[in-house]
Amino acid sequence: MSESTSSDDARDRLIDLAAEFYDQFERGEIPTMTLPTRTKNNIEYDEDSGVWVYGDRTSTRSANSVRGARKLLKAAYTIEFLARQLDEDRSSTLRELYYLSESWDAEEAHFSDQDESNQLVEDLEIVSGATREDFHMRPEESGATLMGPLLLREQTRRGEREIHCQKDVGEGGYQIPNNPDTIEFLDHDIDFALCVETGGMRDRLVENGFDEEYNTMVVHLKGQPARATRRITKRIHDELDVPVVVFTDGDPWSYRIYGSVAYGSIKSAHLSEYLATPEARFVGIQPADIVDYDLPTDPLAESDVNALESELSDPRFQTDYWEEQIELQLDIGKKAEQQALASRGLDFVTDEYLPTRLDEMGVL
Amino acid sequence: MTSFQSTLGEDAGIAEELAESQRAISIAEFFEKNKHMLGFDSGARGLVTAVKEAVDNALDATEEAGIAPDVYVEITEAGDYYRLVVEDNGPGITREQIPKVFGKLLYGSRFHKREQNRGQQGIGISAAVLYSQLTSGKPAKITSRTQGSADAQYFELIVDTDSNEPEIDAATTTSWDRPHGTRIELEMEANMRARSQLHDYIKHTAVVNPHARFELREPGLDEPLKFERATDQLPEETEEIRPHPHGVELGTLIKMLSATDSYSISGFLQEEFTRVGQKTSDKVIDNFRDRHYGREMSWTTPEDADLEGVVEEAVANKSAAATDWFADRVTETLADRERTAHHELAAVVGTVADDTEAEFDETFGETVRENAVEAAWDALTGETERLTTDLHAVVDDATSTRKDDATVRGLAERIADKFVAGDDPRHRLARDTLDDYVARSADRVEEALDATLGETARENVADAVWTLTRTVPDDPPRIRDVADDRDTASELLEAMRETDILAPPTDCLSPITAELVEAGLRKEYDADFYAAATRDADVHGGDPFIVEAGIAYGGEIPNDGSVDVLRFANRVPLVYQRGACATTDVVKSIGWRNYGLDQSGGSGLPSGPAVVTVHVASTNVPFTSESKDALANVPEIEDEIELAIREAARELKSYLNRRRSLQKRRRKQEVLGDILPRMADKVSEVTGRDRPNIDGALARIMNNVSVERTVEAGTVTLTVENHSDRSEDLDVTDIVSVEPTRVSDGASVIDMEGEWFVQWSPSVSAGETATLTYEVGTDAEFDLDVDGVEAEKLTVNA
Repeated sequence: MSESTSSDDARDRLIDLAAEFYDQFERGEIPTMTLPTRTKNNIEYDEDSGVWVYGDRTSTRSANSVRGARKLLKAAYTIEFLARQLDEDRSSTLRELYYLSESWDAEEAHFSDQDESNQLVEDLEIVSGATREDFHMRPEESGATLMGPLLLREQTRRGEREIHCQKDVGEGGYQIPNNPDTIEFLDHDIDFALCVETGGMRDRLVENGFDEEYNTMVVHLKGQPARATRRITKRIHDELDVPVVVFTDGDPWSYRIYGSVAYGSIKSAHLSEYLATPEARFVGIQPADIVDYDLPTDPLAESDVNALESELSDPRFQTDYWEEQIELQLDIGKKAEQQALASRGLDFVTDEYLPTRLDEMGVL
Repeated sequence: MTSFQSTLGEDAGIAEELAESQRAISIAEFFEKNKHMLGFDSGARGLVTAVKEAVDNALDATEEAGIAPDVYVEITEAGDYYRLVVEDNGPGITREQIPKVFGKLLYGSRFHKREQNRGQQGIGISAAVLYSQLTSGKPAKITSRTQGSADAQYFELIVDTDSNEPEIDAATTTSWDRPHGTRIELEMEANMRARSQLHDYIKHTAVVNPHARFELREPGLDEPLKFERATDQLPEETEEIRPHPHGVELGTLIKMLSATDSYSISGFLQEEFTRVGQKTSDKVIDNFRDRHYGREMSWTTPEDADLEGVVEEAVANKSAAATDWFADRVTETLADRERTAHHELAAVVGTVADDTEAEFDETFGETVRENAVEAAWDALTGETERLTTDLHAVVDDATSTRKDDATVRGLAERIADKFVAGDDPRHRLARDTLDDYVARSADRVEEALDATLGETARENVADAVWTLTRTVPDDPPRIRDVADDRDTASELLEAMRETDILAPPTDCLSPITAELVEAGLRKEYDADFYAAATRDADVHGGDPFIVEAGIAYGGEIPNDGSVDVLRFANRVPLVYQRGACATTDVVKSIGWRNYGLDQSGGSGLPSGPAVVTVHVASTNVPFTSESKDALANVPEIEDEIELAIREAARELKSYLNRRRSLQKRRRKQEVLGDILPRMADKVSEVTGRDRPNIDGALARIMNNVSVERTVEAGTVTLTVENHSDRSEDLDVTDIVSVEPTRVSDGASVIDMEGEWFVQWSPSVSAGETATLTYEVGTDAEFDLDVDGVEAEKLTVNA
């Protein structure tokens, strides 16, 4: 799935899907759509690609129940819409699809919320084997940015633009477009890419000139990273052959952010080969750092403990390193934010913490 | 105030003065002052009660004569009063009886009968007459014609309240268009405020009397309210039964004893009571003897006593051989016996004496025998020490192991003392006396030994000793003596109650039957569902009764708040005092949520579009008052009411469950019936193909049975596919305009004037398909009809 399919190809795949429903009707069968089960119990490590993909377990959307029938009706309407969009060579956002459903004649086909329409598009990606970019479906701008020594060429609606992600951009950095595959990398001085979870820490690194001093590509994840952010991270790693590290808060939710950069997310495991960067490594904040640097902390909430325990049973985290770190965190019962490092001074993170950690990891 | 006592001395004539104003009051006078007891407490209610009494009488009379009742009720305004007319097609009343039936309270044929009837006391209709004469001053006008008589009798009469005798104003003959029947016309002060109760009464009467026809006219109705017969089947005629021994009161028993022709109690019991034969009467009489004479204590035969010597000594003036033989046999017989009571000893001695007479040709007369018995009895029981040993074992067994031996021995010793010191040397005693022996002994023991002998221990000991006592062989007292002595009669009554006796027969009852309860409901309520249950007969206080319940649900029954509870007793609707009625209490106590009805808080009257009917039929319905508005809370009856309602409610539950699942299925079918065609349209739009046929998919989704007709070159194929999870039996009928040929197996073809009905009744198992075929020429028209499967579960594509 790593190579992207052409628009025509995507359209044909959608129509094949509709034809399958058609044939099911004609045969007097109950229309169904079979999908891999999208839970953590059904993802497995793919030795060849080094990413986590869906296992063999499937669940079936069937018109047998009213719920299932509604889902399939929505699928049929969405297929029709996407096929037409491809026909007319137009594009739309996920949110537009959600609102657009309101205009469909069948009330039963209207989406009840955007999660539902997003999920349906993901379903269609899985069964058709195309990506939503192939369907010309865009997410909303996530606002994630790059800052670092990279010269690239972007296909914009107003023609091609060459942009240097340090020299041509302001303090805010270069905003990652929805479809990073329209970008061509021209030149770079990157030694390694540093993916940062929070905006505050990203700004601190930029203000302290960390990107210039260490030739670092600072990728701002903005929380749970969007597909485009993960895709461009993978491309930077694969095409520019630079190491990728991830720097987040020290809590279970942040470990999942790392997980989705490195291993792929459960929701989009069908695209793991395309989005995940298995070589990405975790910088911190590690539970060990909380102890070592005596960082200011918050106690673990009940939900944090549950999340940590759930991670212990998540196949993606079943490594010695993560088991040790998670056990430690459960043991000390504390969590810390990235900015907690400021308790040692504003420059501590760039002068002390990161150089030390990256040295340990052999990145510097 | 001045005390009465102080004035007494001054005026000694006060008692005489008071006596002057003291006199007997007639029953009619009494009820004049206590109208409410009979349900005539207000104008509104009086009218309903009068209708009720007249209609009850009409129904009883017609049914008794085996006539399907036809009852006409008319209420009109007559100046300041209301005029009530009730007419029936009954057998009529003879000229002599009319005045008494209508003009004398407590006159009737039913009071002394143990038989299920609407009326019981003979008060009702004459009370209505009394009420009308008291309020309007007008006499009751009665017309009655007996079958076969040329004319009808016409009376105008009132009740003379002083004498409780009819006072006839007019008595003539008149012509009447009815061949037989009775008509009563009353004028009374009344109002129609209780109109809804009146309508309820008539309507509910119609529900439980599906064999009767009713017509009601009243000023508020534009058109008469008519209730037609739902069945020609008259209620089964009831048999009068004799009283059951468990159901009589002392007074009744004494009256029966005085009146009976029997000489012996055994004869009396078997003659006058139901369910008493020789065996039962023996048991009753044994119990009676135990109460009347007491029982005799039996004792073990001592091994150490020189019984033989004692007996020999007691026998005087007989040959040595006979004396030896006699004493030897008596001793031997007693030694073989485990225990012997005094009368048993007498019997043993008697038998042996007879044998000895036969053996030795010597006379063993009364005196000898008596002496022998006395001597032997003294040997058995003369020493307190012996009796103590005997009782010790009994007391030890009866008390808990924690009692120490001193206590046990002490108690045994003291009880033995009581026997020895007792009035009757034969150790004959009543249970009371025994209880007293034990209690006094226990008290002494407690005092002396500082031990505790509680109620239970005392009772156990008394029970244990009582089982060793024997019923005496004395003849029971003669009937005369029992009748004359209240205490003895009471002993007999207790004996009757104590004896286990078969429940009374039930042919004295006439239940409506579950079938007709349902028919009655069907007739008056346009509901979706009906259920009814009739319980087996049971007994309360000697009177048999049967409970029936019915439930109607849905349809036109209004869904506003609580369900209606229709209460009936002996086919008479109970209209007033709903809250005081045992029926209502039972309905409230049932957890209706279990049965699919709403019930706020899980108790109380359920709500929903439902009607619950309960009918209690009995030879003696226990009402809370004379006005017969509410059933008393008799546990046996309440239990049966509950079981009957639950039986009907279980059917309601499965109906509601089924209905809910069909509703769900219908909703699902509706939604899918909208979704799937649109989905089919979309996929045909995207693929650019014709709209696909979705019936097969739909039938499969709904687990339906689908029937599809295809016609190809003159061959018609009906394909029946069963997608449900159980086997389905259907009737598939194809109506064809051309004569069919080569019809597949199992079909019947009927020619109906140019149309052919081709019918199969296939049974198709779950997941299976049946194929039915026939051939027709060209240009045939078809019309397919499928039965045996609910519409919700059927998809026909033909």
